[in-house]
Amino acid sequence: MKLCTKMICKSFLLLVIMVAFMGTTGHAAQTRIKEIRIADSKGDWGYPNPYRHYPRGPGYIRMSWVFDTLVWKDDKGYIPALAKKWTYNPKLLSFTFELREGVKWHDGRAFSAEDVVFTIDYFKKHPYGFVPVESVSGAEVMGKNSVVITLTKPYAPFLAYVGGTMPILPRHIWQNVADPRKYSDPKAFIGCGPYKFIDFNKAKGTYLYKAFKDYYHGIPKAERLIYVKAGKPLMSLSTGEVDLANIKPDMAKPLEKKGMVIIKNLRGWNKKLMINHKKPPFNNRRFRQALAHAINQREIIDKAHRGFGSRASFGLLSPDHEFYNPNTPTYAHNPAKARQILETLGYVKGSDGFYAKDGEPLKVGIMASNITEAGESVADRDGEVIKRQLEAVGIHVNLVNLEQATTDGRVKKWDFDLAISGHGGLLGDARILNRMINPKFTGSVNSARFGENKQLIRLLRLQIAEMDTAKRKALVYKIQEIYADELPAISLYYPTSMAAYNPKKGIRWYYTKGGISLGIPIAQNKMSLVR
Amino acid sequence: MISNLRRSVPSRLGLVITFGLAALAMIYLSYSLPRLLPGDFVTTMYSSSNVTLTAEQEAALRAYYTEEPGFGHYLVKLFRLDWGFSYAFLTPISTLFFSALPWTLLLLGTANVISMIIGFVSGVEAAWRPNSRLEKGMVGGMTIIEGIPEISTGVILLVVFALKLQWFPAAGGETAYAELSLYAWFADVGHHLALPLATLVLAYFPGNFLLTRNSMMMVIKAPFVTTARAKGLCARRVRYGHAARNALLPLVTRFGLRLAFMVTGALVVETIFSYPGLGTVLFNAIQVRDVPVIQAIVLVSSLMVLMIILGLEVVYRMIDPRIANAH
Repeated sequence: MKLCTKMICKSFLLLVIMVAFMGTTGHAAQTRIKEIRIADSKGDWGYPNPYRHYPRGPGYIRMSWVFDTLVWKDDKGYIPALAKKWTYNPKLLSFTFELREGVKWHDGRAFSAEDVVFTIDYFKKHPYGFVPVESVSGAEVMGKNSVVITLTKPYAPFLAYVGGTMPILPRHIWQNVADPRKYSDPKAFIGCGPYKFIDFNKAKGTYLYKAFKDYYHGIPKAERLIYVKAGKPLMSLSTGEVDLANIKPDMAKPLEKKGMVIIKNLRGWNKKLMINHKKPPFNNRRFRQALAHAINQREIIDKAHRGFGSRASFGLLSPDHEFYNPNTPTYAHNPAKARQILETLGYVKGSDGFYAKDGEPLKVGIMASNITEAGESVADRDGEVIKRQLEAVGIHVNLVNLEQATTDGRVKKWDFDLAISGHGGLLGDARILNRMINPKFTGSVNSARFGENKQLIRLLRLQIAEMDTAKRKALVYKIQEIYADELPAISLYYPTSMAAYNPKKGIRWYYTKGGISLGIPIAQNKMSLVR
Repeated sequence: MISNLRRSVPSRLGLVITFGLAALAMIYLSYSLPRLLPGDFVTTMYSSSNVTLTAEQEAALRAYYTEEPGFGHYLVKLFRLDWGFSYAFLTPISTLFFSALPWTLLLLGTANVISMIIGFVSGVEAAWRPNSRLEKGMVGGMTIIEGIPEISTGVILLVVFALKLQWFPAAGGETAYAELSLYAWFADVGHHLALPLATLVLAYFPGNFLLTRNSMMMVIKAPFVTTARAKGLCARRVRYGHAARNALLPLVTRFGLRLAFMVTGALVVETIFSYPGLGTVLFNAIQVRDVPVIQAIVLVSSLMVLMIILGLEVVYRMIDPRIANAH
């Protein structure tokens, strides 16, 4: 008996000793601004160059540390980057960018206006999804440090989609690269951004960057910038393993108590209900409006998200956007109104409380899945709440929870009734309306791909060609009104989006005005480590 | 002797042919099954992205990423040890595989060995003392622990040891890009390994204990154990040299099968602790429909099952000569 006890104790002791031994070792000593560590729950977002990062916000941000653009944004709006000044000539349809002098590439070569011209030509030949250059007819060097970019037609989103998003490539490296996607030489990561790319570990989902000493804004504040994969940001921030992380709203208070600074984004990301408006009964605008009246946005926020979020505008654009139309039609939660509309459409309520038409019960399917929001996969119960709301009105609902890739595949093929989806970009340039409505963009499952209202399509075309801000705003106002009336998709709510950071490192992180680049709602602006 | 040889050669040849055919079937399944997944790489990668594609752009991307060389071509490439390229990373799959493999081996290999040793020893000792308080207590305790899922154990350990006590890191296999000496790096890796390892040991060990104890309970009643006792052998020799050796077979089978499923076996723990490993690589590949990566990992995983089953055949014969002579 004693021997047995001893042996078992020894076995446990072995494990305990090993664990205790391991526990005595600490982390590498961290000195102030020696390094900044950022947590990410997914980890892998591809290699940080234009052709190899994933086409999502976190992928673009990883690239943005290495490659600079002509202009950039901070928390107040556009700021100079590689271009000191820029002007638009409406008669010539051209933007002139006066470039900064003394800018160097990471390999020590001098940056020049030719690099900008080369980049535009290269993106025309080898398209880069983030930067649509079909509106650009060409670019040429003017004088020593100026570039003139000429447009094919007036293009209002130019600064957001080209000037402020297009990473400038070094001509001396890329001029002989025929297949940029397969170009994996270390030179493929030479940019003129504040950080040099050092390593990406695919298995661990970690990235390492080192400060570029010759950066034109001066040496970046942190010597090393590291992305680490951490599924539990609350723990990683609390234990000091990371300095910045996206957090869920209910983590804010405990983290605040631990001395973290909490930052909250404006409403730039929306959860929405995709509607298959290609088939009956969803092809009827009145039916879609009945759905909108049946849905209680506030209840979804309260029950599925513990109250963290705000009701979405039915006009798609965020109320925090400068072009938001406060008179956008709205649909108050009103089950009686929803029933009334259904009855005017010929539906008759049965003894079971559910509607039917010509003997066919009114049945709809809802597809739900975990949606990736600002790079984080978010599980929720939106589908369950909406199912109950529609059933309360008298609509049978078949709720199916699927993996996101399967849902996307079916939505893309129009093989669905209703699907819960979501996207950001609602604070960026109003071109997002074209991307999320126009059927021309077939590649997106978040886009309503709605072409039935010709006036809407015409206005969308006009608004991106209107260079006068006031006139463009009026067009965007009208678009929101028509969209909210047509309801090709129903915006449900804006989740509360937050990040937390450790102020002891002396860095102030913030959300970028209008989002980074095309409207990426992530608080990782490179200017935080630069100025 | 010669007749033995005559008997064993066809038997072994049959075994090799059987395993060869099974391997071929697995290669075919690893090729075809990932293609049955709904969705494709371009849809998954771009349809919910910041990039909105026109029909032409989408078609161009699909043409770039989709290659359908057919099973024959796939087989030829396999024999050339060419695993192809990952769609997502556009790098050779072998690089991706071998950068994740050491972490999987470290975590699962260590967890399996530790839990087997502890489970075996405690199981033998408990069975040797039937109906004692220790045996009853351990059986009850282990049955309860066996019922706790890995996800619960992992989260509890994480909250207590990482969040509250802050003895261990909450995530990762090492401190990323820490500039450490070799010794400090080993210690750092061990430090990160502790919690995921403890989670897996707690998940595997009770089953090993219960299996050994049950197996041992039957063996200790056998006449050869009584004979060994009657010969006056010391108690430890009777327990381990005679009884436990014969009770080992089920545990060896369990150990082998656990190793065989090593590739995907720790996905839950890898996810909780953000620990690198093949499970995570496979999970991410499935999420983005990176078909070449899914194919490679499924293939290696299934071939490992085959090889380990083949290996177990040999080990069984070594542990228990009765199996070798059974034919």
